[in-house]
Amino acid sequence: MLARHLRATPSWQVTLGVALLALGFLIAAQLASEGPRIRYTTQERSPLVETVNGLQAQQQALKDRILVLRTQIQQAEQRGQGSAAVVRQINDDLQRARMAGGLVPLQGPGVVFQLEDSLKPASPGQNEDDYRVSARDIRTVVEELWLAGADAISLNGERLTVSTAILDIGPSVLVNSAFLGQPYQISAIGPRDLYERVSASQGFADFLRARSETYGIQVSFFKPEPVDVPAFAGTVTLRFARPAASPAASPAASPAAAP
Amino acid sequence: MHQARRQLTIAAVALLLGVLVVVQLRGQQEANALTGLSAQDLTVLVGNLDAHNEQLRKEVAALEAQEADINAAQSRGDTSVDGIRRDLARVRAWAGLDPVMGEGVTITVSGPIGGPGVEELLNELLTAGAEAVAVEDVRVVPGSVVAGPPGGLSIEDSPINDPFEIRAIGSREGLTGSLTRIGGIVAQLSATYPSAVVTVTPVDALVLPATTRSLQPAYGTPRL
Repeated sequence: MLARHLRATPSWQVTLGVALLALGFLIAAQLASEGPRIRYTTQERSPLVETVNGLQAQQQALKDRILVLRTQIQQAEQRGQGSAAVVRQINDDLQRARMAGGLVPLQGPGVVFQLEDSLKPASPGQNEDDYRVSARDIRTVVEELWLAGADAISLNGERLTVSTAILDIGPSVLVNSAFLGQPYQISAIGPRDLYERVSASQGFADFLRARSETYGIQVSFFKPEPVDVPAFAGTVTLRFARPAASPAASPAASPAAAP
Repeated sequence: MHQARRQLTIAAVALLLGVLVVVQLRGQQEANALTGLSAQDLTVLVGNLDAHNEQLRKEVAALEAQEADINAAQSRGDTSVDGIRRDLARVRAWAGLDPVMGEGVTITVSGPIGGPGVEELLNELLTAGAEAVAVEDVRVVPGSVVAGPPGGLSIEDSPINDPFEIRAIGSREGLTGSLTRIGGIVAQLSATYPSAVVTVTPVDALVLPATTRSLQPAYGTPRL
C-alpha cells in the first residue's frame, strides 16, 4: 500500500520535498548562528562592529571606483595619442610604470601558498597566539617568495606594492588597510619552479620547523594555471615625497647619484 | 501549463536555497573574523579604516579631476601630453623608479641585528606612512628583502655594513613618534636584539635614489 503510494508520488514533488527540507535546515542554521554572535557581541562592541562593517563597505566601493577610473583614464590617454610619436612614447612609458608599480592585474606561472591557524590546542602555560598565523609568518613566506624570484604577489586579493605593510590586528591581519582573515592565500607569479625554489631555501625550512612542526601552523600550496594577481586599488599620491632631479632620466638604469 | 508552474516553483525554491547557502557561509566567515577582535582591536581597526578611506576618497577625487582634464583637452583637440607626463611622474616616483626628495627620518642601526629584525622595522615604517624608503643606497621596492643573520646582512645581493642607515621620506613627527613610542618597534627590537642600537633622527630634507632593479614582470603578463 505504502509502496504503491510512493510510486504514485510524482518525482517533482520528491525533488521539491528534498529542497524544502534543505531549506528548513538552512533557515534553522542561520537563526542558530545569529544567536551566539549577538551574545558574544557585548554592548560596547556592537556599534564598533557596525562601524567596521560600514567602513569596509565604503572601502570596497572606493577601491572599485579607483579601478574603474584608472581604466577609463588609460583608455582616454590612448585615444588621444593620435599620430604623435612622442605621445605614444609617453603612453608606453606610463603603461610600463603602471606594470612596475602593480597597477595592472597580471597572470602567469607560479604558486599559491595557504597558511591557516594550528588545529592543535595550546598546551597549558603556552601563548595561544603562537598557534595562530601572524603577520610575521605571512611576511616570512612573502620574503622567501621574493628571494626566490617572484614577479608579483598578492595576499587574499590585495596586491603587495611598494607601500604595503602587513600587520597584526587581533587574530587577523591588515594589508593595504584591508582586513583579512584566514585562510591566508599568498599568490605569487614567478618562474615555473618557484615552489621548488622556495621549498629548497634554508629560510623556508627554518620557517616550517619553527611554526609548522612546533606549533602546527598549517602550510599548503597549489599551482593553479595560471596564477592570478590583481591590480593595486589604493592611493599612489605622495604627500611628502616629490620627484628629485635625476642626472640621468633613464628608467631604472642608473644608480641615481643624489644631487 | 501545469508543467511550467511546477518548474517555476522548483526554480524559486532553488534560488532561495542558493541565496541562503551563500548568506550562511558569508555570515559565518565574517563572524569568525570580527568576533576574534577585542574592543581595543576594533577601535584600532576603525581608526585605520577611516584614515585609509579618506586617502582613497582623495585618490578618487584626483583621478576624477585627471579624467576631466584629459577629456577637456581632447575636446579642444589637444593631446593632453602634459597631463600624461604628470601622471607618469607621479606613478614613477611612487613606484620607486625615480629619485624622490622630502622630509623624513634617518635611522641608524649598529650592532648585531638579523634580517627579520630589519624587515620588521621597514614594515613599521610603511605602517607609519613612509612614502619612500632606502636601506643605505638601495631603494626599497617590491622584491627587495633584507636577509641574513646578524653580521651578515644583505639587500639585493649587496652586503650591508655595520652600522648602516635607513632613510625614509614622510612626516618627520609622525614617523619619529610611531617608531619611538613606548612598546613601539625600536623598543621591541632592543628586546629581541639587545646589543643592537637603533637611533631615529628627524631630517628636513632627504634625497632617495631610484631603484636599480627592473620592476617589469619577467613571468607575468597583463590580464585583460
